[in-house]
Amino acid sequence: MFGTTLRTAWRNLGRNRRRTGLTLGAIAVAQTAVLVFSGMINGFGDSTLETVTGPIVGHAQIHAHDWREERATEMAIDDVTAKLAAIRALPGVDSAFARVYAPALVASEMDGHGAMILGVDLDAETGPGGLLEGIAPEALDGEHPALIGAAFARDTGMEVGDELAVVGSASDGSIAADLVTITGLIETPLDMINRGGLIVGISVVQEAFLLEDSAHEITVRGADPGAADALVASLSTIDGLDELEILTWQEVAPEMSQILEVMGVYGYIVMIIVFMAAAAGVANTMLMSTFERRRELGMLLALGSGPGRLLRMVLTEALLLGLLGVAVGTVVGGALVLYWSEAGMDVLMGGGASAEGLAMFGVGVDPYVYPFLTVGNVVAGFIGIAVVSVVAAFLPALGTARLEPVEAMRG
Amino acid sequence: MIRLSRPIALALSVLALLVVDPFVASAQPPPSLSEISERLDDLYRSRASIARMEIEIVTPNRTRSMRIRAWSRGENRSLIRIEAPARERGTATLRRDRNLWNFLPRISRTIRVPPSMMLSGWMGSDLTNDDLVRSSSLEDDFDGSVVGPDPEGRGWLIRYEARPGTVGLWRRIETVVNQAGTIPIESRYYDRRMRLARTMTYSEVREMDGRRIPTVLTIQPNDRPGHRTVMRYVDLDFDASVSESTFSLSELEQQR
Repeated sequence: MFGTTLRTAWRNLGRNRRRTGLTLGAIAVAQTAVLVFSGMINGFGDSTLETVTGPIVGHAQIHAHDWREERATEMAIDDVTAKLAAIRALPGVDSAFARVYAPALVASEMDGHGAMILGVDLDAETGPGGLLEGIAPEALDGEHPALIGAAFARDTGMEVGDELAVVGSASDGSIAADLVTITGLIETPLDMINRGGLIVGISVVQEAFLLEDSAHEITVRGADPGAADALVASLSTIDGLDELEILTWQEVAPEMSQILEVMGVYGYIVMIIVFMAAAAGVANTMLMSTFERRRELGMLLALGSGPGRLLRMVLTEALLLGLLGVAVGTVVGGALVLYWSEAGMDVLMGGGASAEGLAMFGVGVDPYVYPFLTVGNVVAGFIGIAVVSVVAAFLPALGTARLEPVEAMRG
Repeated sequence: MIRLSRPIALALSVLALLVVDPFVASAQPPPSLSEISERLDDLYRSRASIARMEIEIVTPNRTRSMRIRAWSRGENRSLIRIEAPARERGTATLRRDRNLWNFLPRISRTIRVPPSMMLSGWMGSDLTNDDLVRSSSLEDDFDGSVVGPDPEGRGWLIRYEARPGTVGLWRRIETVVNQAGTIPIESRYYDRRMRLARTMTYSEVREMDGRRIPTVLTIQPNDRPGHRTVMRYVDLDFDASVSESTFSLSELEQQR
């Protein structure tokens, strides 16, 4: 019996191909848009997550209390070597690195420029998960090698090979001064480094700024960014870390995790708008088609068709319309997402700033997005449109079922 | 009751006033404002001077002491060289007009201080780089007025408001001077938003090279409790012979 309803519904849809085609097309376009948008959000979210929980922020961070607000050189973590060893020995920890942040004046000639000196373990951080992963070892050769932020070098005219004077305020307030040689440029996701930073060996900075075996920040990475809370909990058990501040990456960069959440909400909003549009399309189509066929429907009723049957027929038509539209849209949208997931989508549409890169809240953002879809994205469309189609067609269908055969036949 | 005749009563009451009111009895009227302003502007100034100072920088965690030697010529040439502690000996700061250079002996380099660092403390103190290059004059750049006696009874309170069009950090400076108007006691500096930025206190008035001047200056920033910088003049030669060549960059790099 259901087979007949289906066949009848299919045939009825075919009776006005153009109208059916247009409505189908509209629903398909809508589903394509939703899928592409969802794909973009997924891709963007993923790359942002990776950037934020990458070498710069890690999954968890340790600082002296108040250091993040005050940024005072003397607010450092002591006995860093021992603490790092203990952290690395902890199960669940993939990598841990200590860093020193020292504001300073740097000059290659006589003109000084305000800069942030970032002292890192040059050997360890060229390894996996480190800030300098992928940097050629020659870039770290020499007595006091330094890597300069690419934008910083460009803005100030400092170049590879320049010997820079670095002058700042040591931990006891006295003058810290040293010379380093630029051996390479660096582009990190941290905007502060790109535009005004110098990466130097941590021991050089510790010596110049009188920070013996101290550092301002320890970043820790586990296996899964989602398990940051558990990581923080196990870190707190280590001796000596209890007087320090231990934060998850979400606490360190709350703006980023908020952005990720907000983007998810946007996705839902777009989907709802699309469903509403689809509903309008289906409702309109069904209203018109039932109105046009009133005589015929009246005749069916007069011949003994139950009103329930008529209702079922109209609803099936609507459902079929909707599902076909979603199917077509899914194929097209899916194909687009597949293409862009390989080629990458330029979010800025070549807006010119892509060379510099985009930065949000101080963290660099990749202007190329690699979208992808989850099963949930696709299924949501099917279920949603199915429901919406049926609901939209309900009133017209009811109207049909309630027809007075004689009146209907009269036209 | 003794009945006094009118004229006698009048005379007695005037006499009483004179005795009872200390203001009328002992105070002088405030000295002329332009005299005060000129005095304040020229307090440590001379055609050329050489000074030796001890500077103490106090923070909540520690206290740092330095001894410096300072040469100056006119209103826009000065050279400061650190003599102690040993770790920083030889570090020098040269000022020419509004330019500032720091020489670091440890790395044998001279660096020009960029405008972006003008508001940072000089060598970690509460004295800013901007203070070193500023040559504003109370007489020329501010409108002064005598507010009245200092509420704490130390002398007179003078208020200086920056003249419109004056480029500078301070919108208002309130200075307490002694009764005679010759020596400052305290200055309060208000920024462009009329917030109290810092207070400078002048103490230990002594005679140096023929002038009576406060030899200890204390700068207390308002936004950092527990921080202050104390500068003490150990000696001061007001009519030294200081040549123009002292203030050249090449001289800067000679460690003396």
